[in-house]
Amino acid sequence: MDDLRLVERDVDTQDIKIAARKVQVFYGDTHAIRDVDVDILDKTVTAFIGPSGCGKSTFLRCLNRMNDTIDVARVEGDIHLDGEDIYDAKVDPVQLRAKVGMVFQKPNPFPKSIYDNVAYGPKIHGLAKNKAELDEIVETALRRAALWDEAKDRLDEPGTGLSGGQQQRLCIARAVATEPEVLLMDEPCSALDPIATAQVEELIDELRQNYAVVIVTHSMQQAARVSQKTAFFHLGYLVEYDETGKIFTNPEDSRTESYISGKIG
Amino acid sequence: MPVLWILAIVLVVALVGFVLGRQRALSSGQGDIRNLHSLPSYYGYNAALFGLVPAVLVLAVWTVVQPLVVQNSVIDLIPESAVEDAGNLSLVMSDVRRVADGLDVAVAEGAMSAEMAASLRTDFTDVRTRLGNVGVALGSDVTQDTLRVAQRYRELTASGNVLKTIVVLGLSLGLTGLALLRTSAQFRARNVVEQGVLLLLLAAACIAILTTLGIVLSLIFNTIEFFQLYRWTDFFFGTTWSPSFGGGSELGIIPLLWGTLYISLIALLVAVPIGLFSAVYLSEYASPRFRSIAKPLLEVLAGIPTIVYGLFALLTVGPLLVSVFGDNGTLGLGWMQGGTAVMTAGLVMGIMLIPFVSSLSDDIINAVPQAMRDGSLGLGATHSETVRQVILPAALPGIVGAILLAASRAIGETMIVVLGAGAAARLDLNPFEAMTTVTAKIVSQLTGDTDFTSPEALVAFALGMTLFVITLGLNVFALYIVRKYREQYE
Repeated sequence: MDDLRLVERDVDTQDIKIAARKVQVFYGDTHAIRDVDVDILDKTVTAFIGPSGCGKSTFLRCLNRMNDTIDVARVEGDIHLDGEDIYDAKVDPVQLRAKVGMVFQKPNPFPKSIYDNVAYGPKIHGLAKNKAELDEIVETALRRAALWDEAKDRLDEPGTGLSGGQQQRLCIARAVATEPEVLLMDEPCSALDPIATAQVEELIDELRQNYAVVIVTHSMQQAARVSQKTAFFHLGYLVEYDETGKIFTNPEDSRTESYISGKIG
Repeated sequence: MPVLWILAIVLVVALVGFVLGRQRALSSGQGDIRNLHSLPSYYGYNAALFGLVPAVLVLAVWTVVQPLVVQNSVIDLIPESAVEDAGNLSLVMSDVRRVADGLDVAVAEGAMSAEMAASLRTDFTDVRTRLGNVGVALGSDVTQDTLRVAQRYRELTASGNVLKTIVVLGLSLGLTGLALLRTSAQFRARNVVEQGVLLLLLAAACIAILTTLGIVLSLIFNTIEFFQLYRWTDFFFGTTWSPSFGGGSELGIIPLLWGTLYISLIALLVAVPIGLFSAVYLSEYASPRFRSIAKPLLEVLAGIPTIVYGLFALLTVGPLLVSVFGDNGTLGLGWMQGGTAVMTAGLVMGIMLIPFVSSLSDDIINAVPQAMRDGSLGLGATHSETVRQVILPAALPGIVGAILLAASRAIGETMIVVLGAGAAARLDLNPFEAMTTVTAKIVSQLTGDTDFTSPEALVAFALGMTLFVITLGLNVFALYIVRKYREQYE
């Protein structure tokens, strides 16, 4: 694994942001996730890796209850965000999703202007008192997503007119604009070319200053490059969860070793 | 030889061609399919297509054209006096055709020999009685001139038929033979057959286009004829519609257009909200079970014939509205005098358009990618915020297209208007008054005995043309918008 550029491994904090215990997910009769226990740290990039169909995306979608939108999906177990059970009856999934933002695999800007794409969340949640505040939120979000310089002169143009990499950064800006506490990213670079991927990865590292970032990725190089903690999923089980450097250099489980050395998956 | 027989023979030739072509190809490949360029059936199809298609085409064209040619060549035989007596050349020709057909029947039934039919003279034979005996009733005695022309007509038709049989069968056999001669292991039968099928597809498409063109042309010629009899300014800007076949009619389109647009507007006011809301409910909120029941039920509405809607308007909705808005109605307003009114027709037409709007909008809403919904929900938007702010705006161009298509249906609708809106052409704002539309007036101008030389009948074509231009414009606009929408996601 000499090609892996391992970033600094210091985990800045040990505050647990999300704690999951004995999580089970069923799609109809299929048992997709089995007994997953994981602690996701604040201000840390956590990568979920594993072969296709291993359940990493499914587990990610549990963290902001996006699985609720799928009729046949059923989640059991406890997931606590800042000590509060997010599957509790008194938690509104809509409120939860404002706190736990999500970026999807394929860039999915709304067919609106760039400005309206970013302003969508803040408008819905009433984060801005007036137009000036909204302008500021939009600018900050676009700056954070490293898109401001490219987009500032064309805020009125449709977001769908941007290039793939720009669209994905727009989606990140859109998610950031609602001021979430956790950012979930479901293979955010799989539809991007290497240059756009590098830009997004750089961005993820910066986002770590403010958020807990959870990223699902198929690329082990990417996991090694951007994350501090890595979880390896296989056949619905969480096989191993540890510091990224340890997972990639000295895994404890033989399945993890087989996967990262390319023998399974 | 009757056309059906020729057709049957050509079919048999094609079938034989298929079998022979297949065999010939197999034998030229020494019985091994791998030596052939194409599969053996392609060689068969090649021979069959060559034997069938050109012959059938020639047969069809010949059958249509021959009567016209024969008629043109016998017209010269009709003396001027006969035309003056009958008043009209076409009346003389129809007499001629009837006598000729009668002679055919008589020969077929054995009441006359073929030579006798060809040499009959009115001086010696009472043709009318003779033909009457075999069941062919003639309106008047047959003059010698008519009989002579009819006999000539028969002669030409008979020789034309013989020639037709020879040409068609010759073509079929000849081309089958040619195709068989060309059949060998190297012959690219597959490509030739596919080319042939391509031409057939092209021909089918052309027929559709040419028919449209023909309809438009027939409208245009009659419209031009109308405008030669009636000033176009009076037609387009006249505010009175009072046709009278005695002359002195005023044929202003404005009251009719007003009625059309008013009724369509009410119909759309009913259909668009209901259709759109039901589409949103069905595509976004309904459980699959409810959807599987409700959607077909809604589409049953689209299958009801419009005349049934007309009856519904006349017998149910009209009286109901009168009982509410009429002189002695529950509201005591006295706005409505009779059951037929703009409101009656508009409401019922709106009901008819609901499935139109809802099923098109439903498709369009479903076509909005799931990623849009996920994106919005992932930002903490509720389902209804997602529908209002992301899905509907994304689907809007398509929905506008659907509404415009519904509008062009409303404008062209006839039966509901005839039964529901009355027949009075008037310019009025009260929706409880009877009014009428362009389509309903086209019907009334052309029903009964019509003389296609008076402006009162020809106005129907001008009305039809106006309507056609309006709905064509709406459709083009709708398609343009729908296409623009498609470009966004593909």
